[in-house]
Amino acid sequence: MARDRGNADDYVRPIRRLLIGILLLCLTGLFILWRIDSPRVEQLRANLVDKVVPSMEWALVPVTKTVGMIENFQSYQRLYEQNQELRSELRQMQAWKEAALQLEQKNAKLLDLNNVRIDPRYTYVTGVVMADSGSPFRQSVLLNVGARDGIRDGWATMDGMGLVGRISGVGKNTSRVILLTDSNSRLSATIQPSGQRAILSGDNSGRPTLDFIETPELVRPGDRVISSGDGGVFPPGLLIGQVAKGPDRRLRVILAADYERLDYLRVLRTHEGEAITDPGALILPEGAEAAAIDALGGTEEATDG
Amino acid sequence: MVDPRTLRTQSFRVGFLLFAGLVTFFYLLPVQVGTGHWPGPDLILALAFVWVLRRPNYVPVFLFAPIMLLADFIFLRPPGLWSALSVLGLEFLRNREPTSRDMAFAVEWAMVAGVMLAMAFLNRLVLAIFMVDQTSLGLTILGQISTILSYPILVALSYYALGMRKITPSEADEMGYVR
Repeated sequence: MARDRGNADDYVRPIRRLLIGILLLCLTGLFILWRIDSPRVEQLRANLVDKVVPSMEWALVPVTKTVGMIENFQSYQRLYEQNQELRSELRQMQAWKEAALQLEQKNAKLLDLNNVRIDPRYTYVTGVVMADSGSPFRQSVLLNVGARDGIRDGWATMDGMGLVGRISGVGKNTSRVILLTDSNSRLSATIQPSGQRAILSGDNSGRPTLDFIETPELVRPGDRVISSGDGGVFPPGLLIGQVAKGPDRRLRVILAADYERLDYLRVLRTHEGEAITDPGALILPEGAEAAAIDALGGTEEATDG
Repeated sequence: MVDPRTLRTQSFRVGFLLFAGLVTFFYLLPVQVGTGHWPGPDLILALAFVWVLRRPNYVPVFLFAPIMLLADFIFLRPPGLWSALSVLGLEFLRNREPTSRDMAFAVEWAMVAGVMLAMAFLNRLVLAIFMVDQTSLGLTILGQISTILSYPILVALSYYALGMRKITPSEADEMGYVR
């Protein structure tokens, strides 16, 4: 009897081994295909996620909300301290608000005097965060707006305060936002008031680094970092955050967006930047890139303590 | 009339599928958006390794591979690579299952840890050869450590909650596992 079984084993095992070999070949083949033709496989991935994740949405939402409630409940324990903090913050804010109102009036007057048309490209679609990447190595979230809502790859995404990331991967009903903290994220930024250009590169930590600054002496912790609009991918002038110096003496950015609470995100409709191809046509017809020029305006001395 | 053993095997296979779905679901919850968290364990892989060293037929490779591939796609890993390595690791352990029957747990754990670290190393090596951007080494190591640490917990859960023990010699005789 046992011998019979042994015989059957003799047939089964090589076939099994062969099948596993084929399986491994397919998997490696898929990996190599991904490496060669990444956009197509990534599109496949976006479609797959588009199929799988919304089917979980009915459960994702209540569980997320419950966890959020528990976290909020824990924060009630610190209610008194929070209240005090908020009061002092409020007092500061009122002063700021006053200043902002005055500036707004002044700005409106000046705009009126100059007959400026507000750039029409700052319209947005708001999406709700459905899921995150599920992996500690990728910093991204999934929004519930997709190609159906006219979302396109590369558009900027903000929360109420600052830039969060960019769209990368659009399915029919969902789209993925690669956050600025992801190690694949690179963004050209301008540091105000010195007007220095830098590349903001994510490294999977909460504070992305600023690289390739021409004169780092001009940059001080606390300076504002905004998107520069170079390359035409992002609209210029979106707030990213503040400069800070990390313990390793590298310049990093404290992001303005609240990464702990990403619920609703705005996807900014960006229309194709007009490219200058011909030196004779340097003056653009509709003033499309005019905003990029005034980003260089404030290059006065800002070095004294 | 369905043979009770077949029924049990099939239900454990379904159970594995459900477990994978549940784990994926919890990883996807947008609770911990942001960085600086301890990278969570790869529970699907750890459970597969626990079960394959106890009841190899509960984790058939043609169930395991599609699950890992889908996880690759959902968790934004390079598709195919990690699942291929997982299949290799699973089959390696499946071949060692008869010898592991009378291993001490510590030895078994060390073996599994070795396989997992080798997989992580190969993964990084292949990604480096193909010049794919990688995350920091520290984070990868932390992730592997948490997977390795989750292994005894899953063993204990399988043992106490599901009553999954290693194959004893008498059972092996009965089931035709003699090799």
